[in-house]
Amino acid sequence: MPDNATPSLAKRLVCALKIEGTLKEKRPVHAFGWGAKGEFLPSAVAKNYCRAFHFNLARRDDGSLVTYPVTLRFSNGSGEAKQRDSWSDVRGMAARFHDPQDDTRATDLIAMTLPEFFNATPEGFAAFAQAAKSAPCRAQTPWEKLRDMLHLIQPMPDPYPGQTRRPDEGAIRYADKDARAQLAVLQAATIGVPQSYLQASYHAVHTFRVTGFGGTNNVRFEWRPVDGVRPHDPDLTPEPGSPPVDPDDFLVPDLKNRLKNSAAGPHVRSRPMRFSLMMTIGETGDDFNDPSRPWPPRRKRVFMGMLTVNEACDTEKVSFNPGLLTDGVAASDDAILWTRIEAYRYSSEQRGGTPCPFAEGQ
Amino acid sequence: MSKPAPDWLAAFVDSLPTRKWFQFLSNWVVVPYWHWRDPKPVLEGGPRPAPQPSENLQRMMNLVMPLRDPSPIGRARAAIVIAQNTDEIFAGLDNVGTVHNARFVLIGDYLCMLSVYDGDFSNYIRDFIVAIGSVFDAVMDLVVGGDALKPTARNVEKFIDWVHDHDLFQVPDFPTDLFALQDAAKGLGPDAPPHPLRSLSREMILQFVANPNVSLGGGYRAYPGKSAAQLRQNLGVGW
Ligand code: HEM
Repeated sequence: MPDNATPSLAKRLVCALKIEGTLKEKRPVHAFGWGAKGEFLPSAVAKNYCRAFHFNLARRDDGSLVTYPVTLRFSNGSGEAKQRDSWSDVRGMAARFHDPQDDTRATDLIAMTLPEFFNATPEGFAAFAQAAKSAPCRAQTPWEKLRDMLHLIQPMPDPYPGQTRRPDEGAIRYADKDARAQLAVLQAATIGVPQSYLQASYHAVHTFRVTGFGGTNNVRFEWRPVDGVRPHDPDLTPEPGSPPVDPDDFLVPDLKNRLKNSAAGPHVRSRPMRFSLMMTIGETGDDFNDPSRPWPPRRKRVFMGMLTVNEACDTEKVSFNPGLLTDGVAASDDAILWTRIEAYRYSSEQRGGTPCPFAEGQ
Repeated sequence: MSKPAPDWLAAFVDSLPTRKWFQFLSNWVVVPYWHWRDPKPVLEGGPRPAPQPSENLQRMMNLVMPLRDPSPIGRARAAIVIAQNTDEIFAGLDNVGTVHNARFVLIGDYLCMLSVYDGDFSNYIRDFIVAIGSVFDAVMDLVVGGDALKPTARNVEKFIDWVHDHDLFQVPDFPTDLFALQDAAKGLGPDAPPHPLRSLSREMILQFVANPNVSLGGGYRAYPGKSAAQLRQNLGVGW
């Protein structure tokens, strides 16, 4: 564990992230979401790169291919008390792969729609979280907007109807002083809304060390939806026959609808949804410990397998943890990753989550 | 507390970016004013140096050359020159060994050579001159400023510089990296104070005054990190 990944800082971060007046049993961030069950089929090349159980393409005695059960949770990033699906926000996808041979063995991969994080150090993130705390907001006056336009600056978006607080202004003020936060702040401010949790790309952001026959590589993981990435268009008129949409709460109903298989209606696809798991291989000269810096899009990408999401289910009590790793996948020295390990465990305790089968000191 | 602005004023200001007269004012007054206050240096073309192997494979060249005669007759001449030189081009592709693909495109008043190559830019052009110098000479007849470079085989270094100058600037893959590139072009180091994030839109607009034609990012690859030689080897077509 790197020196600056101290448990007390992790706890302080959890407390700082929790918004006053929100329910204790809710997560402090990614508060609203829902789960699903799926199965993962590793690719033929996956085990060359990683010996972890879920990358082992194997056959059963009857010749069929082994798939690995997966527990998922999709979520909005916000920790506010009220759910707002049609507000721009980073979305999350937490996945737990289970070993069908050994029910004590599992491993987590937690990912989000933002391709990088706001900071490279826990202290930096604490400063960012403080600066970007949700604060009262208002629309710019026409004169302020005009001034921006004449400075060739895009005016700030007006708050959504009913929005009185937001983190954006504080986050931008922070990024004006810390260049490393700029990319994440810019991308988070313009990230928008997916049409469906099942039609977004999710990035696990940190570097992991994976070991397989070919040696050890520093890698990053991403989920790519087979049906493509589709942003939500609030101006699009709903298809005839589709159920009425609540703009504050449509992502979980959509998830349940799409996975219901038959009764979903003609406007949604009634079949399992799939994600490709892509693994990008870092190279000497890349920063393996800085999650605020994405690697350029020219790194080698390996198709590690296909996730099929089959049915929606309640995973609100489940406690995912980025430190729940397994033989073949190890954490890098990224201090943010190590801080999260402690933070998620503490957060789970605070909200009364089911403790994760987490191995001490991973 | 000051009185809130009337709704009609707010709606009017919001609509300004879509109004023709405001776009005209922005393009002819606001942008020139900022360009006068804060002109941006032309940023260098081609991929930027990087130590990682995958940065040095499948690199893009977007060579954009102004046509000497952009009329239909001049364009037809360009088409014929390229069509007449396919043997030379294949001789280059088959022997240089670091080129994935190359194509010539006529667009607007420009003849463009777009190619994907492995390794160092200067060596790529140098190797190509050896193999297909005659094609470059024929191309130089078609483009503005080409005469001074002929025969390219005897003006190798000058020709390399010229090609580099006509290779499009590649906008950074991550938009906020533009700040650092602009700072570096002004001689400022990486520890220069950060720029206000919201000024990125202005910096980008002003950069497009200096570099109007650009490549948007460094391109997207289905099989990154593979050289032309590796692919040919794996495909069993050898080298
Ligand atoms: C130091 C940095 C971070 C801190 C302190 C932090 C904190 C937290 C906390 C406290 C939770 C709730 C955990 C629970 O109660 O079960 C959470 C959830 C989550 N975080 Fe983070 N986080 C950090 C960085 C990240 C990063 C880099 C990612 C992207 C990969 C991420 C993605 C998520 C997701 C997707 C969830 C929801 C998990 C679920 O559905 O159970 N977080 N985070």
